[in-house]
Amino acid sequence: MSYWTIRRRDVLTGYLFILPQLAGVAVFVLLPVGMAIWYSLNDWNVFTGKQTFVGAENYAALADDPQLPKVLGATALFSGGVVVLNIALGLLLAVLLNRKFRGVTFFRTVFFSPVVVSVVAWTLVWGFLLQDNGGINGLLGGIGIDGPNWLQHGDTAMISVVFTQVVRSVGVNMVLFLAALQGVPGELYEAARIDGASSRSVFGRITLPLISPTILLTVIVTVVGALQSFAQIAVLTAGGPELSTTVLVYYVFQQAFKFNDIGYGSTLALMLLSFVMVLTLLQWQLRRKWVFYEE
Amino acid sequence: MRSRRVLLVLALAVLAIPFVVPTVWMVAASVKPLPEIFAAPPSLWTKHPTLAAYGEAFSFQPFARQYLNSVYIAVLVTLITLAVSALGGYAFARIKFPGANALFLVVLTGLLVPSEVTIVPLFQMFKRAGMINTHWPLILVTALAAPCVLATFIMRQFFIALPVELEEAARLDGLGRPGIWFRICLPLAKPALSAVAILTFLASWNLYLEPTVYITSPELFTLPQALTRFTDAYGGQMWNTQLAAATMTVLPMLVVFVLLQRQFVEGLAHSGLK
Amino acid sequence: MTTRKLLGTVALVTAAALTACGAPATETANKAADAKLRMTVWTSNEAQLKLLNSIADAYKAEHPKVASITFESLPFADYNTTLTTQIAGGNAPDLAWMGDISKDLIAADALVGLTEPLKATEGWKYDDLVDSAAKEFSKDGTLYAYPFSNSPFALYVNTDLLAKAGQKIDPAKLTWDQVAAAGAAVNAKTGKAGFVVRDFDYKSWNTLATVWTGWGAQAWSADGKTCTFASPEMQQAFTFLHDAAFKTKAMPGPGVTADFFAGDAAFTVAQVSRSALLTGSFKFGLYPLPAGPKGKYSVIGQAGVGVLASSKQRDQAVDFLSYLSNPENAAKLAQFFPPPRKSLLTGAQLAANNKVLNAAQLQAAVVDQLPNAVTLPNHTSPAEIAQKGKTALDALWTASADIPAVLNSVCTAIQPVLAK
Repeated sequence: MSYWTIRRRDVLTGYLFILPQLAGVAVFVLLPVGMAIWYSLNDWNVFTGKQTFVGAENYAALADDPQLPKVLGATALFSGGVVVLNIALGLLLAVLLNRKFRGVTFFRTVFFSPVVVSVVAWTLVWGFLLQDNGGINGLLGGIGIDGPNWLQHGDTAMISVVFTQVVRSVGVNMVLFLAALQGVPGELYEAARIDGASSRSVFGRITLPLISPTILLTVIVTVVGALQSFAQIAVLTAGGPELSTTVLVYYVFQQAFKFNDIGYGSTLALMLLSFVMVLTLLQWQLRRKWVFYEE
Repeated sequence: MRSRRVLLVLALAVLAIPFVVPTVWMVAASVKPLPEIFAAPPSLWTKHPTLAAYGEAFSFQPFARQYLNSVYIAVLVTLITLAVSALGGYAFARIKFPGANALFLVVLTGLLVPSEVTIVPLFQMFKRAGMINTHWPLILVTALAAPCVLATFIMRQFFIALPVELEEAARLDGLGRPGIWFRICLPLAKPALSAVAILTFLASWNLYLEPTVYITSPELFTLPQALTRFTDAYGGQMWNTQLAAATMTVLPMLVVFVLLQRQFVEGLAHSGLK
Repeated sequence: MTTRKLLGTVALVTAAALTACGAPATETANKAADAKLRMTVWTSNEAQLKLLNSIADAYKAEHPKVASITFESLPFADYNTTLTTQIAGGNAPDLAWMGDISKDLIAADALVGLTEPLKATEGWKYDDLVDSAAKEFSKDGTLYAYPFSNSPFALYVNTDLLAKAGQKIDPAKLTWDQVAAAGAAVNAKTGKAGFVVRDFDYKSWNTLATVWTGWGAQAWSADGKTCTFASPEMQQAFTFLHDAAFKTKAMPGPGVTADFFAGDAAFTVAQVSRSALLTGSFKFGLYPLPAGPKGKYSVIGQAGVGVLASSKQRDQAVDFLSYLSNPENAAKLAQFFPPPRKSLLTGAQLAANNKVLNAAQLQAAVVDQLPNAVTLPNHTSPAEIAQKGKTALDALWTASADIPAVLNSVCTAIQPVLAK
């Protein structure tokens, strides 16, 4: 066989290998996005199945929707809170658990365990615990604190959904950071210690830069995940009180499946998509500034 | 030094409370008689434990069937994803073909598109295909779209880090690409594959929005969907039954995880995700 | 598995996915010879399903052309969403139970008119229908769903709890103020809850119609076009509820779970059909709703069953519905659902099959209430009104709420939907 036969066969194999994944994305992601754009230009009556072309009307409705600014505010607050806490706590746990002591395996298991609990079961239980006469306030009462009515006030409801979301999902980031930390060569620490660097400056000058690619990955995945958190909100607060925890994802679901307004729901969904795209692109562009390997 | 270590363990123990309490409370409350669940002051253990709610979970809904649904869908999705992502990830990492980078970016968009954008169009597509109220949408979309893209991403990162020499030796022995992939690279990829398997299984196991949209018959429900349906004929919550059912969905996963946790954490740690 | 087999499987799965998505919907051939009827219901109660199935069996015996009649239980909480999804997905049932979704279905011409066929059915006795029951399911004089369940809201009392708190009530002259006073006393003495409007839970505000009707308030005008949520009557009614939740503690506040049927509350407002939830763990009384400032009143929650216009076996479905609702079968259904037929509405008739309540209780709480009862607020786009109203009303449930301002904001939120 000549080099070119092998090469040509290799190229063919390459295309064949990626075909299933490419086809899956084309059929189940790209095609639906195209269809969503078309839906957003139409008005639907689900009961009769009638479709009317309305042009940009649904987009104009975005500007007139009195609830939308509050929904966007809640989305920013929720996603921002989840991302910051999730990354910070994940990194902290990874650093604490990246050493040898008795019980380290136990703690790794504990902090990861909520990840395997189904979101719905997890949230149902927190729903119980966060009732005004529930377990949390029972515990707080035991040490003389009169706990707030967690899910009934805007601020505490937001804190509750962010907190339960972070506790449930931080295990994944912890493990990813652990993996990254274990990849930092020990000699670098040795050298730094010989130079008399403090442990804080070692972390800032050596550890952080070396694990920055993982930070980039976790930030992207966490941002996307936070913008898509549906089950927590649906089960814990149903978007309330008022609109305080109605994040964009939940609002899309309401419009399209509860109010049967598929045109407007699709428009909102596309807005969500553009947010995800812009945020990811921004992180991708900025990565050269702070991610170590990306020069 | 010693006191610092004690301090560290203490701090971790305090941090661990919110991670552990819900699960413990759920199990404890599931054996309580209904009036005690909301008793004030709340207590963790009951003096009158009862397994009635566990029986109720099975008589109220076809819960065993729903359990089976979730298990078989998750297993199937995991198998398909393993195959698709191992193929795709390998090709993107190792085979040079025109357009590889551009096509990889196209695939990556699959990770960024929220399911809320695609759910309505997908519903229409599956409706035309006559697949509403079947498990097909849950299997196909999960196995080929977003969770699979993440898997392909992980596999690519892993294969990129694999030494080239191994493949060259195999090539000299006369193995073709598929042979190299299957006999040389896949066996080496076990850590990454196990990480992908667990993440994909969990993604399918926890799917909530999709089943609520596609599935309407209780005997086709999956577990997360079934859990929210323990309501009496008038929509009132059957708390103790719900908790018993939730316990039954969580405990097996926790047991499997505790048994496999070393392999899993190590698997992720060495999957080349750096 | 060899490489080739593995590749083959992957290719096959992908191909299956691709072709499946491109294929047009396969229309099932519908011959009258093997009609298969499907009816969605929200009950999963075994006894109720057994009765429905026995009626269906009897019908099939008389009509050999009908191959099967299935009752599909959909969860109550998501019933409307699921039914809508089925309709939108071209997978609509032939018949369906319906509550507040009925107005949307009628407005979209998605239901088959029933007046003509029922009148034409021999022995059906159309004149036997109670007018007030048929009203909510009619449009322009045509009935679109048979109101098989007309369950009045009643006041359940836990007499054990009242005795423990040293409270006595006179059911004949009971007013809301007395209920609130007794409830506050129970809460103060026992720590248990006073009165609970069942299923309200600071979310489903439409159930509060069981209270505000006593103040003469309405959510919107009779034609459904104008919001009246900010009326002085409504303000008084909500002031009463707000005081009960935050001042006298007669009603558990938001975020507090108290289940009357588990023995956690002294009073609850719930439909008579909920008496099935009584377990006998405490002594109870069942009375008509207490009087409000505007005197006595009654409220019912209704459910109907209709035939979907999209059904390919419409005539067969209508025929089955007329069988299901004929006088003989209506009498059987009455053991679970208060019927819409005058001939069946006596305390003794209803008590014959009721294990928990006696004839006197049923006469007072059901039969005497039906003729003048109002229904819970009912409108097209119920989910949107419920959601927007709830979002605005959330602001009311804090101790320092400005009640008139909040009620105005409810109108601001729902008026555009009402006017649609």
